[in-house]
Amino acid sequence: MWEQVDRILRQATSQVVDQVADFLPGVVVSLALLLTAVLVAIVVRMLLVRVLRGLEFDRRAEQWGLAGFANWSASSSPSLAVARATSWVIFFMGVLVSLTALNATIPSRLAMSMFEYVPHMLAALMILVAGGIIARLLARSALIGAVNMRIQSARLISLAVKWLVLLVAIAMALDHLGIGRSILPIAFGIVFGGVVLAAALAVGLGARDLVSRTLEQKLDESSRPNDRVDHV
Amino acid sequence: MASIGSNSSIQEAEVNVTHADIVVAIAAYNDVRTVGAVARAVRDGLAKFFGSHEARILLADAGSTDGTLEAARCAVGDMGLIELTYQRPAAMSGVLYHGHPGRAEALRAIVQTAHRLNAKACALVDASLHSAAPAWIERLIAPVLTDGFDYVSPYYVRHAHEGLITKGIVYPMFRALYGVRLRQPAAQEFGCSARLVSHYLEQNFWDRDQTSVGVDLWLAVAAATGGFGLCEAALGVRQPASRETPADLSTTLAQIVGALFMDLEDRVDVWQRTRGSAAVPIVGAGPEIGPDGASLNLERLIESFRLGYRELREIWTWVLPPRTIVDLRKLSEAPLERFQFDDRLWAGIIYDFAFGYNLRVMPPDHLLRSLTPLYTGWMASFILQVRNATSSQVEERVEQVCLAFEAQKRYLISRWRWPERLR
Repeated sequence: MWEQVDRILRQATSQVVDQVADFLPGVVVSLALLLTAVLVAIVVRMLLVRVLRGLEFDRRAEQWGLAGFANWSASSSPSLAVARATSWVIFFMGVLVSLTALNATIPSRLAMSMFEYVPHMLAALMILVAGGIIARLLARSALIGAVNMRIQSARLISLAVKWLVLLVAIAMALDHLGIGRSILPIAFGIVFGGVVLAAALAVGLGARDLVSRTLEQKLDESSRPNDRVDHV
Repeated sequence: MASIGSNSSIQEAEVNVTHADIVVAIAAYNDVRTVGAVARAVRDGLAKFFGSHEARILLADAGSTDGTLEAARCAVGDMGLIELTYQRPAAMSGVLYHGHPGRAEALRAIVQTAHRLNAKACALVDASLHSAAPAWIERLIAPVLTDGFDYVSPYYVRHAHEGLITKGIVYPMFRALYGVRLRQPAAQEFGCSARLVSHYLEQNFWDRDQTSVGVDLWLAVAAATGGFGLCEAALGVRQPASRETPADLSTTLAQIVGALFMDLEDRVDVWQRTRGSAAVPIVGAGPEIGPDGASLNLERLIESFRLGYRELREIWTWVLPPRTIVDLRKLSEAPLERFQFDDRLWAGIIYDFAFGYNLRVMPPDHLLRSLTPLYTGWMASFILQVRNATSSQVEERVEQVCLAFEAQKRYLISRWRWPERLR
């Protein structure tokens, strides 16, 4: 009987050792990949910070309207924010690759599905960045135009334009990611339609006199000497 | 009626008439109310003062639909009108401050035709004027034919509140940059010699994006920087009839000032070497006019400046140094009676905007339009100072502004050469 117990124990130990021996190289490779990813992320981050600062990216980002993105993160400057985001992306990719190296079924599937999702994430990111730039440009254009038309609430108009474009960009990005595909357009439509309806009611009912006075004033202004002056 | 065809702005016009001593061109677009009077003034001026010369009248019409062509033909009568055909813009490309679409193409066709006809003197008159007179033709042509000048710029007598973009920005900056005291560098009338016509055809500005709004100014710049003999002709009062699409102040300012700034980069070698400025001779004398009776709403202008300071200060900080922003804050807090825009501050602001424009710190249209509240502030300050002044007193005041621009030119050169040092 003792012989049988000993044989079973040996078989069990041997199986465990074999399984550990099969699994260990994967763990080692996985750890090596993880370490490499960390190192690459750190190096890329340092290089990116240097290159972007050399290219005066912070100043340019401010002009392009990207400074706002940096403000949302904990980074103090756009170049640092880009470098951090890039290093985190590299690290995350390293984690996914290292999970694949473990040869485990669930982590591998997760990694593959995440890799398939990456292009969508990049596209959504690009939509957000483009939306941010367009929002900034249009908001500035609206602000300058409103000030030149002597509209006292020029800042409010500019902010409305900015957030309208940003909301459209965010809705597009989320739709691209497949998040809330059916709810988002409805929610956006309700909010946007509600804002327009509220504005129309406010102008039509509450500010009817104000609007008529403003229009009269505007029409009257065109015949004023100030606007008929030959400036050239 | 002779016919001149040019299906491309690059191709030279084909001319049936082979020679003319004098060419006077009329640039028109839907000017049926005024073109007849202008054409008659040109015809009478040529007959009265240059009867012994072979002269031709050109009409560069930008596709009028209101009978301008017929009115011009009728007014010129037997003398004959050469109607230029040139490549016109397919559609009105935005609002133009002068309301003349395809002006650059028209002027190019005129210059090409004058060159082809071997004209000794060429003059341009805008068809939208109420005030054109036969004497204008004599004043614009005679200095070229008899005195050997190459470029004759008009010198108009204007009320204090008229032409303030010219008085406050274009003339002072043109004078400081190129060292020539031409009071109307962006005028739509001028006279020029055959030598200058050839020089114009060699210029590279004809194919720029903004040529339609900048061509008048760039022709003056080309004359001033090309070593030509310049003079001014006193033409008296200029009374333009507003065309159908008058641009608002912001658009006008952006187009005129943009044209001035755009040329800076191309001529950096010239203006950085130019020191001081020289007066140019004035042919004839204009009438002295008294203070104008126009009642401008100065409070509204100042309020516009204050609104601009409140809302656009952040945009201005992209081009203006902190000390200028501080000065603007003080100015925005000043009451009407003490509202005075310092000349050096104003000159510095214009130079900072010129520098920012060429550095492309933001889209040019945003930058130029954000200048409007500053201009209204300066305008209010200027009118406050000269509202009861005679035309010669206004001239003195403009001279002070010009001197400030000349004094501050060193600052522009420094910023241009060492942009980071003054940041």
